Amino acid sequence: MGRFSMRVVVDPSSTEAAGQPHFRGLHHVVTASFGNSNMFVFDILRRTLNAVVSGAVARDHLFWKEKLVPITLGVLGAAMGLVPVHCACLESKGDGLLIAGVSGAGKSTLSVALSEGGFNYVSDDWTYISQRHAGIVAHGTSAPVKLLPDAVKHFQGLQRHSLQTSMNGELAYEVDIAETFGAQVERECEPRWLVFLERTQHAGSEFTPMSSAEARSYLNSSVEKLPHQLSEAAAMRERTIECVSLLPCWRFRYGGIPQFAAKELREFVVNHQQEVYA
Amino acid sequence: MTNEPRWHPDLLRRFVATPYIFRKYESAISVESNDLEIALGVRRSDVVERQGRRAGGLRCKLIRDMTGPADISEISIISNGTLQVLCLGRGTILIHDPERSELLGFIAPNVKAKELVSSLIPALLSHKAKNDLL
Repeated sequence: MGRFSMRVVVDPSSTEAAGQPHFRGLHHVVTASFGNSNMFVFDILRRTLNAVVSGAVARDHLFWKEKLVPITLGVLGAAMGLVPVHCACLESKGDGLLIAGVSGAGKSTLSVALSEGGFNYVSDDWTYISQRHAGIVAHGTSAPVKLLPDAVKHFQGLQRHSLQTSMNGELAYEVDIAETFGAQVERECEPRWLVFLERTQHAGSEFTPMSSAEARSYLNSSVEKLPHQLSEAAAMRERTIECVSLLPCWRFRYGGIPQFAAKELREFVVNHQQEVYA
Repeated sequence: MTNEPRWHPDLLRRFVATPYIFRKYESAISVESNDLEIALGVRRSDVVERQGRRAGGLRCKLIRDMTGPADISEISIISNGTLQVLCLGRGTILIHDPERSELLGFIAPNVKAKELVSSLIPALLSHKAKNDLL
């Protein structure tokens, strides 16, 4: 996988904490500001990140771990062989399960429920895919799991946390899944299945096969288009998305609490593991 | 769902349409913008003209960013020897890439085209690249 370089200048006289993020991009350059004192400039072609930050942000280790590292992977990943896909990722006995779904479909709540039900957690919202040898590898980041306010109904552990304004302006719980729920965290795994999540009003669940064309269409539409200046990165991304879309792919419709969906998915994975290893 | 998607998110506003396009063939300058006043102002700018002649060309793409924050701040310039970036508040960002002969930027709604052309672009283009961040 590629490398990137980062240079940061700290203004120790500035005490401005990280404000709401503001992103812009043209051609090969992306900028991210977090208030007037904290500016990050990504050069995707040259794989560099240059920044000026306040003393307060320099010392804010959670900002670097939970915000800047995931953002940097998202922006520079295109040039480094890391493709972001809008999926959660859980792992069981070495097998990765990618869970796709539009925002609000319940990827994060299901990720927590699966983590409580014996799966290892990789990511809850964005997963980074790289190609290795003949296969693909799914990577998580250090981003916190983000749960919408109603998740507190399903997870008692959230009661000792308070709601925060997340990067997209939503009010949500942003918590460390290992600390809050005791989840086992894996940095990477090899995905075996791709499941598209759809919630229904009716109790119960149903798995139906999905075509790779549908999967590819969803994965492509969830990522930002790249400009022609980054055509090499765009081609690499297309190849990686093609590999992901060729995984056995299912639509999973369910109604009910996340713990019920987690139980159904667990059975699905166990059954398919038996098929693979029989 | 079939084939390629017709829609992608554009959270970075990379693909804002820039219908105002001017080219000056003698100095190899091209100017693209979604704002006619900006496009005309940059086309007439002596500083841009000189930079184009000196560098053998300059491609300018400047977006009037009506959805960007319009806060007030001092000008700051970040330079790493390759890119020079001028920031005015969070909403106005100008990027000069001398190696690729490109001038890119987003202009906040509260910054007038005149200020951009007479003050901000000259400040950025006259900034001497140093091998550190300022």
